[in-house]
Amino acid sequence: MIEVRGLGVTFPGGVAPVLRDVDLDVPPGEQVLVLAGSGAGKSTLLRVLAGIVPQVVDAHVTGRVRVAGLDATTTPTADLARHVATLTQDPTDQLCLPTVLDEVAFALENRGVDPALIGPAVDRTLSAVGAAHLRDRRTAELSGGEGQRVALAAALVADPKVLLLDEPTALLDPAAARAVAGAVRAAAGSGRSAVLVEHRLDELGQLPGRVLVLDPDGRVRATGPTLQVLHEDAPALARLGTWLPLSAELVAAGVDRIGDLTVTATPRAPAGPTVLSARALRVRRDGRTVVDGLDLDVRAGRVTAVVGLNGSGKSSLLLGLAGLLPVEGTVRGGSVGLVFQHPEHQLLARTVRDEVAWGPRRARLGGVDERVSGALESYRLTGFEDRDPFRLSGGQQRRLSLAAMAVCGHDVLLADEPTFGQDRATSVACAEALRALADEGRGVVLVTHDLRLVGEVADDVLVLHAGRALAHGPVDAVLADDAVLRGAGLPLPPVLAAWRRTGHPVRATLQALRRAGLAVPA
Amino acid sequence: MNRRRISLSELVLLAVLAVVSGFVYWALVQAWIALQIAMGPFGDLAQNVLIGGWMVAAPLALYIVRRPGAGIVVELVAALVEVAFLASPVGPMLLVVGLVQGAGAELGFALTRYRRYDWSVFVLSGALAGLASTVLGMVRFGWLTQDWFAWRLGLQVASGILLCGIAAKVIGDALARTGVLDNTALGRARRQDPATPAPVP
Amino acid sequence: MTGLGQALPHDSVLHRRNPTVKLAVFLVVSLVLLVPVDPWTPLALLLLALPAVACAGRIPLPVLGRAALLFGPFACSLLAVNAVTRDGPVVADVAGLQATSTGLAIGVALALRTVLVGTLAVAFSLTTDGARLMTSLHQHARLGARPTFAVLAGYRVLEDLPQRWTTIRQAQSVRDPRHRAGRLPRDPASLARAAFALLVVALRQGERMAIAMETRGLGSGPRTVHRPVALDRRDAVFAVVVLSVCGLVVLASWRAGVLRTWSTV
Ligand SMILES: Nc1ncnc2c1ncn2[C@@H]1O[C@H](COP(=O)(O)OP(=O)(O)OP(=O)(O)O)[C@@H](O)[C@H]1O
Ligand SMILES: Nc1ncnc2c1ncn2[C@@H]1O[C@H](COP(=O)(O)OP(=O)(O)OP(=O)(O)O)[C@@H](O)[C@H]1O
Ligand SMILES: [Mg+2]
Ligand SMILES: [Mg+2]
Repeated sequence: MIEVRGLGVTFPGGVAPVLRDVDLDVPPGEQVLVLAGSGAGKSTLLRVLAGIVPQVVDAHVTGRVRVAGLDATTTPTADLARHVATLTQDPTDQLCLPTVLDEVAFALENRGVDPALIGPAVDRTLSAVGAAHLRDRRTAELSGGEGQRVALAAALVADPKVLLLDEPTALLDPAAARAVAGAVRAAAGSGRSAVLVEHRLDELGQLPGRVLVLDPDGRVRATGPTLQVLHEDAPALARLGTWLPLSAELVAAGVDRIGDLTVTATPRAPAGPTVLSARALRVRRDGRTVVDGLDLDVRAGRVTAVVGLNGSGKSSLLLGLAGLLPVEGTVRGGSVGLVFQHPEHQLLARTVRDEVAWGPRRARLGGVDERVSGALESYRLTGFEDRDPFRLSGGQQRRLSLAAMAVCGHDVLLADEPTFGQDRATSVACAEALRALADEGRGVVLVTHDLRLVGEVADDVLVLHAGRALAHGPVDAVLADDAVLRGAGLPLPPVLAAWRRTGHPVRATLQALRRAGLAVPA
Repeated sequence: MNRRRISLSELVLLAVLAVVSGFVYWALVQAWIALQIAMGPFGDLAQNVLIGGWMVAAPLALYIVRRPGAGIVVELVAALVEVAFLASPVGPMLLVVGLVQGAGAELGFALTRYRRYDWSVFVLSGALAGLASTVLGMVRFGWLTQDWFAWRLGLQVASGILLCGIAAKVIGDALARTGVLDNTALGRARRQDPATPAPVP
Repeated sequence: MTGLGQALPHDSVLHRRNPTVKLAVFLVVSLVLLVPVDPWTPLALLLLALPAVACAGRIPLPVLGRAALLFGPFACSLLAVNAVTRDGPVVADVAGLQATSTGLAIGVALALRTVLVGTLAVAFSLTTDGARLMTSLHQHARLGARPTFAVLAGYRVLEDLPQRWTTIRQAQSVRDPRHRAGRLPRDPASLARAAFALLVVALRQGERMAIAMETRGLGSGPRTVHRPVALDRRDAVFAVVVLSVCGLVVLASWRAGVLRTWSTV
């Protein structure tokens, strides 16, 4: 169904190719998982298969690419789409029409399907992805998770022979991610070929049968049966920074069970003075109460994680704390910085250097140049000083927005989903940066769907459910509390489920797992 | 000049430009009302001062897409967006307004057969757009028989040059630096032009 | 409050008319209205139009009134400027400026025309769904599939714009260590920076949407429409009635000798 030989891709202006000499065969009915670090070319590979690169996006492409019997590099994208369905990386930007009904019907209309048959097909597909209740909604009003399901239905509705999915669960809470992963599995089951890029492997449940691993320089590193490849190559993959399923991580760490790791307890962060204190906080949006009666103390030197389902009010809480939304109740404390969910929204200068220097200059702080070069160094952005911030990759933009906020010297830093869409290595780098800010004596609040990240950096956890605090306490206690997690609708990832049986502190355990994975020679 | 059929991404780019300018035009209307009040008895000249801002999408679209007709299309779409989605009180007349203003801006580029994109062409295009919309004002509001006609003409042309022509080049260059225009004629031209530094990988 | 580009959520005669026909009729009426520059013709049409759109569109009068506030200032300034900038017999001296009777008449005419067109425009947008208009233009005005859906993609961008605008301004304002809680900066430099970011983000979104539409087969051949917009004889009746009323009023004012055009003032 898919046959790729010697594929090379170079983007104009890029010095090095993004993909080199890639071979890939996907017979009918088979599914392949593509695994690689950030920026290794996963999305580019899918875009070549979908006929987007080089026809819509300029690039120099070499080699042979046949998809459903057609040459994907020359067949017009729209014609190729008669056999191929694509879900691209940013799901909310795939919804192009005003209503869900029109959105899902769109692909059938474009194929000239008899209008009488379109309605039933739309209903069938929406039910198949668990979105039947969204049929009469407007697309602009869908939440992230709902939008992702509708986008999946819109891709599946025309019964494609080939399915290309790029991180279909990126923005979802753990429960929604599992539901969408289930829908993807069901859709891919019935004789369709599928190529899937996904970071959150533990959320997938059952992994596709075969895997293709790319090196950072865009070459094929390994290909074969998923578990076999991942287990054989586990230590090297861990070092490359790709996400791995728990079983492969244990292989990389050289142990059978998490309990076998040697865990050295790290000292608990001392709680400093309270730097931000909210009492009976209530936030309304559009007349609806989305955060209700919340008490929160942020202490210097500690990281507080906020978790909850999509739409539970996490971002609204941060906006309220930062004074950007009107609130009822009181918020007292020092100056507050906020790192927004989408870094693009926060960029305002024309070079990376100016971007970081912006805050210190405004505050008339001394030694701006030293501060800037120090921050560029610690957030691994040296070499990009003169680049336009919009030209950075997503991961680099994310680090830039953290750096630009960190140099301002706020007492409290709030971060909204700082690691979404990042590979394992950059995600850890972000986590360490936040930890370092706390260790400097600032208060840090972190919103995330990644419960493992919570275990790795947080001291305290606030669990939100429909705008109310369901629990608030030390990370070990909250993550071990079944009633709270069930009440919040948050399933634990396998690695945390396994940690609970060890009896060690969660941060120390996860650190030990990572260190052991990096220590074993490849 | 590009002879391929206009691509979907170019069409969507024109639509997005039209939408954002429709949204900004709406903001400009607020500025216009404020300026109208601030200028007291000369309030009606406020529209002549700001007119260029209402037309900037046309030379910007031509700069980016570099196809005959792009300036007219983007103004027509902007008008359609304002009528269909933003409830403009001018109504479908805006389609005529957009057509005339787009054609004025387009003329400057057509005279160079869509080959040159330096400052002089933008100045010319802006001036012609200001002129075209003056002609329209003569038909709609009888400007020619008013006392202030010379003032209006001068303001319209100056505003066209500054807020339409020159602003389009400034915005286009700034956008190109960010990389969002890499897959457009403007992005391709900048890559081939050795004067602009190649983007670092 | 209805959302951008959405009709009032009830049904009416105007709601049910074909959007393309409505747009075309309205365009013709606007063009015809360019001709008369005497106060009587637009006044007569306005007196007919107000009750007509209120009934046929079931639009509450307060809603129409509130909309009038939008184009009120422009109508007033047209009246004022024309009164004092045209040659003719002087009827008043206002702060050193001389108002002429010719100028006053033209000013009233242009102001009434603005109010009339504004009323029709409000009636149009309150009874027309923007997305259905695009579908109808595709079906009935031979607007190509790709331009149609490009505009609809633009509509999606537009729906997101107000929220994005706020988010971007909030996100940029916290970058300033001196920012004060609860206030977004309004100085021109901050607004320009936010507008630029908005444009970049919207263009990115547009590029992704174009790719998404292409990968779902837009433009690969003849397509069908799953929820077509109706076009029937009642739309023809609507067009004939509106255009003839308009024509009759102009004719009547000509016969009555009150009609003026730019060449006869
Ligand atoms: N249109 C483009 N022009 C220039 N460079 C590009 C373009 N698209 C991608 N790149 C570059 O190609 C490389 C691979 O990008 P790609 O999006 O395929 O990576 P990825 O593996 O999907 O990463 P991620 O996990 O962050 O999504 C990156 O360095 C990126 O900056
Ligand atoms: N601008 C807005 N106007 C009105 N309601 C909003 C707005 N933004 C969010 N909401 C609503 O407020 C509630 C809380 O939204 P919020 O963005 O705080 O959730 P969240 O927990 O951050 O979700 P996610 O995990 O998806 O980011 C949701 O029901 C959402 O629909
Ligand atoms: Mg990617
Ligand atoms: Mg959020």
